[in-house]
Amino acid sequence: MIRTLRIIFSSSISYLFVPVRMKAAAFLKRHYLKLLQFIGFLLLWQIIIVLFNIKEYIIPSPLAVFSALFNPEVAAAYLWGKQISATLTEIACGFVVSAFLGILIAVIISWSSLLRSIVMPLLVFFNSIPKIAMAPLFLIWFGYGIIPNALIAILIAFFPVVINTTTGLNAVDRDLLDLVNYLHAKRWQVFIKIQFPNALPYIFSGLKISTTLCVVGAIIGEFIASDKGVGFILMDSQALIDTPPMFAGLIIIAALGLGLFGLISIFERLLIPWQRVELA
Amino acid sequence: MPNTPLISIRGLKKIFTTLTGEKIEALENIALDIYPGEFVSIVGPSGCGKTTLLKILAGLVQKDGGEIKVDKESFDPTREVGFVFQKPLLLDWRKVIDNVLLPIEILKINRASMFGRAQELLELVGLKGFEKAYPNELSGGMQQRVSIARALIHDPKLMLMDEPFGALDALTRERMNLELLRIWREAKKTVLFVTHGIAEAIFLSDRVAVLSARPSTVVTALDIHLSRPRTLNVRTSPEFGKLSMKVYDSLEMV
Repeated sequence: MIRTLRIIFSSSISYLFVPVRMKAAAFLKRHYLKLLQFIGFLLLWQIIIVLFNIKEYIIPSPLAVFSALFNPEVAAAYLWGKQISATLTEIACGFVVSAFLGILIAVIISWSSLLRSIVMPLLVFFNSIPKIAMAPLFLIWFGYGIIPNALIAILIAFFPVVINTTTGLNAVDRDLLDLVNYLHAKRWQVFIKIQFPNALPYIFSGLKISTTLCVVGAIIGEFIASDKGVGFILMDSQALIDTPPMFAGLIIIAALGLGLFGLISIFERLLIPWQRVELA
Repeated sequence: MPNTPLISIRGLKKIFTTLTGEKIEALENIALDIYPGEFVSIVGPSGCGKTTLLKILAGLVQKDGGEIKVDKESFDPTREVGFVFQKPLLLDWRKVIDNVLLPIEILKINRASMFGRAQELLELVGLKGFEKAYPNELSGGMQQRVSIARALIHDPKLMLMDEPFGALDALTRERMNLELLRIWREAKKTVLFVTHGIAEAIFLSDRVAVLSARPSTVVTALDIHLSRPRTLNVRTSPEFGKLSMKVYDSLEMV
């Protein structure tokens, strides 16, 4: 296992040492069109609001949203730092547990057909319960706070990890099994040297789906019962028909989701360098 | 030629059952002796069970009858077989050198002690300098060379090669044939080589075993007395032509 990881890692590390300034310049060069597009979009939004005199409680202007986020006098009321850290904690806990649990269950059910026949029907049944419907129950069990929201995130997010990982572990070319079996490989050797590395790209696509679902789960949890978090601000501001922080909240949620997705993508590039070779 | 065969096959039988329950007799009665250091090729019509025969010898498929006698004193069939498959079957996530070292890890031999040997083998197959490349950076021919180095790493006595060059273009294939003869000469292995190419079989081998269509038997085992080391122009000699005709003849293609 350690060797497999080392083999996978050794080549990836060098990628980290490209100078930062070069990366930034290359980034601008590649993405300046998107940046321009984004700025154009904001301008258009502002112009339309002013031109058609749209009320702020229906759609706020970008400037009002910006102010809700960054103007110290306005933004202080929302305690963004506290909300973001609460939501981020839920998402992070949800994701880490989903990833760990999802991969573990997948390993178990692809290892033994007996365990598969026990676990799989339960899993499918469990997954067909709308997770949001369980939220009121969590409220009774765990009260307000991080835990019930993280739990909802886990319940929504771990299933795709299980399915993708299982698919990856089983999607091994039969001839590759011959390759190690003629040398009388042990079951665990087949698993560690062939099945698991073979599943890595699948695992990462499962994890990427899972990040998005974790964000959804955390926010839904906060909608149902919470006293902090970005989802809480959305509900709280709705009661006051205060739309700028709601838009600000949506932007923050999107940014959190994107950030996590990006983080996973970086890990993917590091851990699956051979795919980068293929794309290059 | 030594008197004790490395492997002695008698009356080997294999029956496959299809999904519909139909029984197909792939190998009916295979008899073949393979002597140490010999290069033996197996030719035969498509679907006659050539690959099955190799897989039985490698322990990947169970036989349904007959016997395979192994010279146990000089040969351990669980550790001293090297298999080169039709496809290179390299692990995408491993660099070339780590692919070559795979059998070492499976056989739980100290990896560090074999690192130098892996480099030597890569040099032998003409891939010096490609140790750190990933398989998908290599051409088909280069990938197959890596798989040959991999099959040699644990120093097997017997090499089983299943149409290793079948997927390559004609030019690369000829070059690989020459390379293989050089490797065989330098590494001093016993080779059992399955191919569709009659010219390839004659060019490479000490002996060519011709299999019949299913259910297969060994129709003939033809000695190839062409002098070694061989070069490509041996194929234009009248002797080569006669041998080819004999093979075609026993395949009932004349």
